[in-house]
Amino acid sequence: MNEKDKRPNFFVREIPFIVLLVFWVIYAGIEIIRDRLDLLPSVIPTGLFIIAYIIVRLTSKGQAGQR
Amino acid sequence: MDTFLALELIALALTGLLIWHSAATRGAAFTWMFFPAGAVLGLVRENIVAQVAALNLYSYNPLTFHLWAGAAPLIMMVFWSYTIYLALTFSEVITGGDLIGGKRRVLVILLSMVFMASYACLNEAFASIYSMVLWKFQPALALWGGMPVLLLWGYAGMGMIFLITFLLVYKLRIRTVYRAIIFCASVIAIIPLHLLWIAAFRLATSAIG
Repeated sequence: MNEKDKRPNFFVREIPFIVLLVFWVIYAGIEIIRDRLDLLPSVIPTGLFIIAYIIVRLTSKGQAGQR
Repeated sequence: MDTFLALELIALALTGLLIWHSAATRGAAFTWMFFPAGAVLGLVRENIVAQVAALNLYSYNPLTFHLWAGAAPLIMMVFWSYTIYLALTFSEVITGGDLIGGKRRVLVILLSMVFMASYACLNEAFASIYSMVLWKFQPALALWGGMPVLLLWGYAGMGMIFLITFLLVYKLRIRTVYRAIIFCASVIAIIPLHLLWIAAFRLATSAIG
């Protein structure tokens, strides 16, 4: 088996992103449903990390951030 | 099913996914060291903090959590490992670094600290909805939902201390099983170091409060 075959597939590689996104959506969703809009700015810092991650993934073409 | 119980079970399941990711992308040695030590850290630290009144920090609301391990919610078995694992992975991807490999190591640790502080905002503001935590002190500085700013500092410090200790133990040239045991045992150093880190912040901000 060569190195390319050993690389995890797309789903496995993106598990951390999926996990954070699920938490982020649940937290923000419950804050909205419970009418706690005063808490909503608290999701912005992790939201910025999610955006940064997407940008890097879209622009790196598999070179940077292989993990 | 109670909403909060569903959240606890979802968190446990998602941590299982992270363990899968770790095993697939970082290998068995990393995974056997990282997650068991995270579990020990969560159980020991949170039980100490919740039960030692002299620390004057917090305890967990018995009306909120369903699954317990002593005085700490069972979810704390996975909480520190999954947050620090997310911090490490996001930081490595964003910086193109590699903590173990030595590529942009300082940058990875610094960005992990920023991630941890960001996650503190997300998690602790949310915690106020369900009254997850019963605070034993009046915070000098507070953010959304009354969450103490101390938490941003605390999460960031835990990320840094955990990752540096992990790296030091990982680099030991001994069998994986011994490294895993040593890293689990190093929790007895990580906890007081982190409590000192928190005490430094409280001392520095005591004049404000």
